[in-house]
Amino acid sequence: MTAVPDVRQPPFRRAVIAVNGASSDARIVRLACQAARASKGQVIAVHVVEIDWSLPLEADVASRSEDAQRVLDVVEGIAESEHQAVETVLLQARDVGAALVDEASERAADLLILGLPYRKRFGGDFAIGRTIPYVFSNAPCAVWVVREPINETARG
Amino acid sequence: MIGGRRPLPGRKLADRRVRVERPHSPYFRYTGPGQMVAKQAASVPLTKAGRLIFRARSLVFGRPLASEEEIGERLAKKKALAIFSSDAISSSAYATEEILRVLIIAGAAGALAYSIGVSIAIALLLTVVSFSYRQVCRAYPNGGGAYIVARQNLAPIFGLIAAAALLIDYVMTVAVSTASAIQQIQSILPAAYDYRLEIAFVSISLITIGNLRGLRESGNIFAVPTYLFVGLALLIVIGGFIRIVTGSAHALPPQPDAVPLGTEQLSIFLLLKAFAGGSVALTGVEAIANGVPAFKKPEAKNAANTMITMAILLGVIFIGITIVAHAFAIVPSTDNSGGPTVVALVAGTIFGASPLFYLFQIATALILFLAANTSFNAFPRLAAILAADGYMPRQFSFRGDRLAYSWGIVLLAGIAFALLVLFNGDTHALIPLYSVGVFVCFTLSQSGMVKHWFLTRETGWWWRAIVNAFGGVLTFVVLIVVTSVKFQNGAYLVIILIPVLVAMMLFIQRQYSASQRQLAIRPDFVARPPHREERVVIPIPGLTRAVIQAVNVGRSISDDIRAVFVSEDPDAAIEMRARWERQVPGVPLVVVESPYRALVGPFLAYLDVLDRAWPPDKPEPITFVVVPEYVARHWWERILYNQSAKRLRTVLVGRPHTVVVNAPYRREEETRFDPPPVPEPTSET
Repeated sequence: MTAVPDVRQPPFRRAVIAVNGASSDARIVRLACQAARASKGQVIAVHVVEIDWSLPLEADVASRSEDAQRVLDVVEGIAESEHQAVETVLLQARDVGAALVDEASERAADLLILGLPYRKRFGGDFAIGRTIPYVFSNAPCAVWVVREPINETARG
Repeated sequence: MIGGRRPLPGRKLADRRVRVERPHSPYFRYTGPGQMVAKQAASVPLTKAGRLIFRARSLVFGRPLASEEEIGERLAKKKALAIFSSDAISSSAYATEEILRVLIIAGAAGALAYSIGVSIAIALLLTVVSFSYRQVCRAYPNGGGAYIVARQNLAPIFGLIAAAALLIDYVMTVAVSTASAIQQIQSILPAAYDYRLEIAFVSISLITIGNLRGLRESGNIFAVPTYLFVGLALLIVIGGFIRIVTGSAHALPPQPDAVPLGTEQLSIFLLLKAFAGGSVALTGVEAIANGVPAFKKPEAKNAANTMITMAILLGVIFIGITIVAHAFAIVPSTDNSGGPTVVALVAGTIFGASPLFYLFQIATALILFLAANTSFNAFPRLAAILAADGYMPRQFSFRGDRLAYSWGIVLLAGIAFALLVLFNGDTHALIPLYSVGVFVCFTLSQSGMVKHWFLTRETGWWWRAIVNAFGGVLTFVVLIVVTSVKFQNGAYLVIILIPVLVAMMLFIQRQYSASQRQLAIRPDFVARPPHREERVVIPIPGLTRAVIQAVNVGRSISDDIRAVFVSEDPDAAIEMRARWERQVPGVPLVVVESPYRALVGPFLAYLDVLDRAWPPDKPEPITFVVVPEYVARHWWERILYNQSAKRLRTVLVGRPHTVVVNAPYRREEETRFDPPPVPEPTSET
């Protein structure tokens, strides 16, 4: 008889959630907050501003961008409504996936949560982008990907 | 906001990332482009003393609440009945006594029989008023206080009269209910009479703190005492009726401190006076009409039905207690004797010295305290509406840390307690002031409703108008009766106070309107950069770091800059000039010798001279007076400095074409001037 895994174990102690201002942010923040509340876990929201190669990595981009700050402020607001504290981290990087994996590793996170809008490539194939495959193959911790419902994305 | 950036290595060389600091994050949250919301941390004082006070306030009044945390609970009928009726139903605890106190003057026991007739007449009035207010509930689903109804339908002045009467009524509700609650306590604990003002102070303070903490009317705290009082009062009425029907009701011997029977002839005036006294039973009837939006949907229908339920309960309890009191020949205790109340005597007759008697007395005291609390919700809200309309100081519309209208709450508590002290905590002395305001509101509200139906012409408008017209006429007649028979007992105070309050509100509104007109800008006005010349004048008390800072501020405003040194000592002036020219080159110094030792006057005269010397063909320049100011580290040190600067600022505030600029120099800024100057040796040494 195979042993049944202990489902009562908390899903995580420290989770990094990747946010980017998309409509999926609210869903994954709520999900993380509810799970964190139950297990008294810690939630870290990370927003990565991608800097293209025409600018130095240290360029003053994200700190001057209200949009970038607002992404994390909105997350704070959602977490507050869920009565859960959330730490916010704003990063500049060349590649979002690598920055997320490195941040999760540095903070010894045991879960990385990402949102995924339902998008199709030209020709009709489902587009998953390049961040999620990178995270899947490199993240040292568990990874949750929450894909938005199809009709919701289409509306949005 | 420019945050710092910290580079971090990645697993691969190309995976480096930069963590960007978010300095705004502890204090603000961006909500839209160029728009941010302040967090609680932004309101926390920066000084140690300020933080200490903030902590103490949080401990007493609770942590500050954000506007979005306001409770918007809708009330079911049962809960709403308990919450909105505590004021009205609790008045049955003293209304019968007020009738008996008048009729007992007529002496003969037969006169007391009229108490039943008077109470039935009051109950009929209650029926008419309740039906009239049902119309208000339906017509004003957003809350139809007498102020709103009268202002919208009659004229603003009638709205103000209603508002003044309501404000007085709310104050009286607190005072009368508290005094009466204490009387109920002393009915079971006579020693409480000696401490009635202390008990009043404690109870009003507790209600005040509770309301400043944001106590809402939605809690079960209201339902329990109200239903307990109603249940036990109905039990008394039923028990009394059974004893009357079975013939076991008989006249009781009067208590030792009972009012002795009088010898006056029973007259129409006495009956009218008894009617006026008992009409306090109607106080608080309008509360449901004011609170329609708090009901669950359909709000108007639920409020209207609750109004009728409340009227039935109040009528039954009031008439029932009066009949039982008459059946057992109960007479009130003498004023200020600390004796039991009529309702306590009635309860004692039916329940005996059983726990039910004590429970009823406690429930009566509690419902009366809660009736006081209803004013703590209504008064600040009305004051806030009046403040928003410009009839009261704007502070009344500001909500405190706990979303309560703190100014209104504190003012109400202060006036109500002052009244209790003034009238020595005597319910019967306070009551003559009570009913006048209530009937002014009833009359204005009903008259406004008649006009409302004529204007809107909704379905069935004519019979609705007839109901309100009948209610308006009847309450007006009662108003005349109440005012005339209670005039000498204190009603005259209300008659004086209402116009005074109205005049005060009109005066405030006129002031606000005038300032608004003066400050208004035309919609087509577009602000352009200033075209007038600017000059800077710096009054200096000597050559200090604060002065250098002020000079630097002045230089950033205009190149036309000069320092003015007013001195009573010519030698000091010469020495000052020498130092100034050496240490502050490029800024002319004007020395004004003041042989009469005045500092401010010569400086102002110098500014006038500057103005007069300005070429008349050019527009007047803007004169920036940059005042150097040393900011001491501690609050107690600040008393020692800047007194001349304060005087100067005060006299300059109203000066035309002049802007006063404070240039504060803080101790923390001293590193900019390092190394510190070596003090010059004095000649005496």
